[in-house]
Amino acid sequence: RRGLGVAAGPPNTRQLREAEEAAPVFQYAGKTSRRKDRVFVWGFSYSGALGVPSFVRPDAGWKKPRRIQTTPYRLETEEKISSAACGYGFTLLASNTRDITKVWGMGLNKDSQLGFQRSRRDQTKGYEYVLEPSPIPLPLEKPQQTRVLQVSCGRAHSLVLTDSEGVFTMGNNSYGQCGRKVVEDEIYSGSHLIHQLKEFDSKVVQVVCGQDHSLFRTKKGSVYACGWGADGQTGLGHYNITSVPTKLHGDIAGVNIIQVSSYGDCCLAVSDEGDVFGWGNSEYLQLASVTETTQVNVPRHLPFKIGKVKEAACGGTGNVVLTEEGNVFVWGYGILGKGPNLIETAVPELIPPSLFGWSDFNPDIRVAHVRCGLSQFAALTNRGELFVWGKNLRGCLGTGRMEDQYFPWRVTVPGEVLDVACGVDHMVSMVRSF
Amino acid sequence: LNAAPGRAPRQRVRFLPAPAPGGGGAVELVAARVPVLADHPLVRGPRFKKLKIGAGHRLDVKASGVFVLGIGHGNKLLTDLYNCHLTKVYIVGGLFGKATDDFSDTGNLVEKTTFDHITREKLERILAVIQGTNQKALLMYSNIDMKTQEAYELAVKGLIRPMGKSPPIITVVRCLQFALPEFQLEIHCLHETQQYLRKMVHEIGLELKSSAVCTQVRRIRDGVFTVDDALLRTQWNLQSIQEAIRNCQLKVETELEKTL
Repeated sequence: RRGLGVAAGPPNTRQLREAEEAAPVFQYAGKTSRRKDRVFVWGFSYSGALGVPSFVRPDAGWKKPRRIQTTPYRLETEEKISSAACGYGFTLLASNTRDITKVWGMGLNKDSQLGFQRSRRDQTKGYEYVLEPSPIPLPLEKPQQTRVLQVSCGRAHSLVLTDSEGVFTMGNNSYGQCGRKVVEDEIYSGSHLIHQLKEFDSKVVQVVCGQDHSLFRTKKGSVYACGWGADGQTGLGHYNITSVPTKLHGDIAGVNIIQVSSYGDCCLAVSDEGDVFGWGNSEYLQLASVTETTQVNVPRHLPFKIGKVKEAACGGTGNVVLTEEGNVFVWGYGILGKGPNLIETAVPELIPPSLFGWSDFNPDIRVAHVRCGLSQFAALTNRGELFVWGKNLRGCLGTGRMEDQYFPWRVTVPGEVLDVACGVDHMVSMVRSF
Repeated sequence: LNAAPGRAPRQRVRFLPAPAPGGGGAVELVAARVPVLADHPLVRGPRFKKLKIGAGHRLDVKASGVFVLGIGHGNKLLTDLYNCHLTKVYIVGGLFGKATDDFSDTGNLVEKTTFDHITREKLERILAVIQGTNQKALLMYSNIDMKTQEAYELAVKGLIRPMGKSPPIITVVRCLQFALPEFQLEIHCLHETQQYLRKMVHEIGLELKSSAVCTQVRRIRDGVFTVDDALLRTQWNLQSIQEAIRNCQLKVETELEKTL
């Protein structure tokens, strides 16, 4: 005990220990704190596709608009987003909630691919560019019971898959890609029309948009297509437009297809036994392993000896598949991910797992999903890391630099990446915080 | 060292006068090998008066572990070893619940927090993120043009390393033990200081929404030298030192040849 008139010396060990024990304990996170789900966006922002209005119209007059967001930027959303899709300059976000608003859209809306967005200045006209995630009104019969399972976007059209009310399509229909009859000289801008598709052999479980065509996969394992077919991407045996979803035959007749993928003019399908089928554009050697022709209009089996395939993704000029063992194979044309020397190949080439973080210290790292943009590729590992490679169009890779990436590069995202959607010049990812 | 048998003295050929075999007073010059007087131990004095000893990578006062020294000619090898930029391995012990100003448990207390929400899974997730960001830094600071084929090939083999100055980079982190509130990590790193490792422990605590201090930093490997090659305090005598030098010579030579 310090008496009066005695100088204070340095605190001895006992005083320090007592002070330490008496210090208050702060709690920042309890035992039941949950991990939050977040959405991160990056890429070309001037079209409004990233959903951040301050990038296009800054809040203060002296600030310059941000054309390109080169690193992941957090997007605030009202609900937990379960599915996202990037089109050519626009984005759709969907949540599987039972509330009335289930789908939000942002970006280009010149063909009403985001539905009708009523303009505040003129109640009769719609917005041509949507800068913020805005709700898309779907004509549902039971809006408080139906859930939206998945969304998909093409060049100027979009598809929304619900669990009990079929598929809703909106946007450009000049090639019949929305599944309804083509109307001559139809004006798509500011259109209220959202078409509903219900007649399939069983429930639709996956919808995929190519550039100007749409693919539907049903529970029974069959694939339907409609839209532009000049490259054979509808796979129906002809090169004409189809305006009603029609079932595909060819090598996939009778085969149980578990996944379909397309983004440009080439399509890939994976069966439950691990076989890969392809049809559509083959100008870039995507289907050169079975045929010399540059357009294939009937699904053909691709005899690759790479093991059982789990997932496939199609880009504009290159394709990527993921096998059951976690190996990633690429083929086609463009920056394929094996250095600047590999520009094109017709046979799938393996990307070494050490580029995804596999090493003697971490032998259980495996690639879990693969995704394709128009000229970029993305791979998600089981640890929640995102790797991207390909052409860095307007900063869409998210690496922070504007140069192309010739081998898989890690994207720094503050969280565990659950899913990513790739577009032409932007990407959207769903991330769970730590 | 001076008691050990020294170098044999140099020999010189000298023509010495010797009596001629014939007899009489004639003197002949005969060539003979004679030790040079300048090399005589009494003239030269003790061989070693002082030794030049250089130190390898620095080790803190509060840290322990392998510390590499170079003796005499070994100092030149030390600079070469530094330019190899090999990784060092540390065992770092930490304690959750406290935060101090110098990030170790002997500093002034700043804050106390709860830590019962921390699980081994959360810790391993944070470690994976640290490894990921440092992997990127590794590729960025290695100053290789990413667009070349050689960069791709080196990246596949995992041989890309910054060969010049760079901020501290951690290549591998692993959690060895986890028993709340204590935990132990094995860290492989380049160009680091021990204080940086303590700061890393503090930042791991912050990421897990709690706080942590570093209790122990121990270097178990410095390039090619491991704990098995290191000499204990009781072994600091001439015999063991000479033996250790002999054992490590081969390893050091192969490593230098491989890298340079």
